[in-house]
Amino acid sequence: MEIFVWSGWLAGLAIGLFVVLHFWLIGKPAGCSTGYGNVCGIMSRKLSYYHEGEYKNKYSVKLWFLIGIPLGGFLSSLSSTELWHLSFDMGMYDAILPQSMVAKAIWLVFGGILLGFGARLAGACTTGHALVGGAMLNPTSLFAAAIFFMSAFITTHLLFDI
Amino acid sequence: MPTPEIDLNHKTEENSPNLSRLQKMKFTIQHYYYSYRTNISGILLGALFGFLMSHAGATTYDYHAKMFLLIDLQLVKVIGTSIVVAIIGISLLKKYKVRAISTGVEVDFVKKKYQEGLITGAFLFGVGWAMTASCPGTVPAMLGEGKVGAIFTLIGLLLGTMAYGVLQTYNAHNKTLERTHHNQD
Repeated sequence: MEIFVWSGWLAGLAIGLFVVLHFWLIGKPAGCSTGYGNVCGIMSRKLSYYHEGEYKNKYSVKLWFLIGIPLGGFLSSLSSTELWHLSFDMGMYDAILPQSMVAKAIWLVFGGILLGFGARLAGACTTGHALVGGAMLNPTSLFAAAIFFMSAFITTHLLFDI
Repeated sequence: MPTPEIDLNHKTEENSPNLSRLQKMKFTIQHYYYSYRTNISGILLGALFGFLMSHAGATTYDYHAKMFLLIDLQLVKVIGTSIVVAIIGISLLKKYKVRAISTGVEVDFVKKKYQEGLITGAFLFGVGWAMTASCPGTVPAMLGEGKVGAIFTLIGLLLGTMAYGVLQTYNAHNKTLERTHHNQD
């Protein structure tokens, strides 16, 4: 589905204001990947790591934040000229990814595993490290964000150039 | 002699019918907002975030490829502008010692600390980013847009997060075993 995309400057302004609004409302930095830890804690009682420390409160703001995101995506898709529908179209990636649906799905699951595991090992994802950590000028976050970008840059070139 | 307690009850009984229906509704809403304020503000902020990610182009596969292949720098503009705007906003919040609305306490600008495995984790995350053209924040928004691929990325995300939890739980378990073993010696 073709989503109407704003100019980068305008969208950046809005997202910057969103980061500040989140601080003002909640009093803590915004983050996405920690909420997945809450989901894992809810799904498994045996996984004691996701029941202790920063994951002690499983129904945290971060979990509710994660639940709210699809609503926003849905609202945004209403601005499209097409009617809302399911689609497995991946644009430029369709040319380099395996052609069969099953292989494409396995590829995405594997990529997702790297995202989930990597985000926990690094402590945060693009939102927590690059966006919010960058805005707080946290050296650790800037360092992690630089590796995110470099690693994704190299991998994308490996995928598309060969 | 009437006790003050009875007086108080008498008063409220007399006063409550005087509240207009609108006022009652207002109090009910306030009550519910107060009880569920984390859930409500979390969901609303999440919806706003998803909406903005989508309109920024972060949920469109091609913008990720085009950014890393240096064809279209839309997402670089987005993240650059948002960081600059947020730096200004954060410095204002700090300067005026603004209190958070939901907690009433001063905003906590807690920073992520360096942790063991950060470099490896960040590297793996980057590979996953390039493979799926999405990140943990955009996957739910893509689901809302009806992108089937996001279902599989989400399954992977949960599996990866789960795997890290299993590893940490196992490590913690081994440490306690070691400690008890030492104590027995």
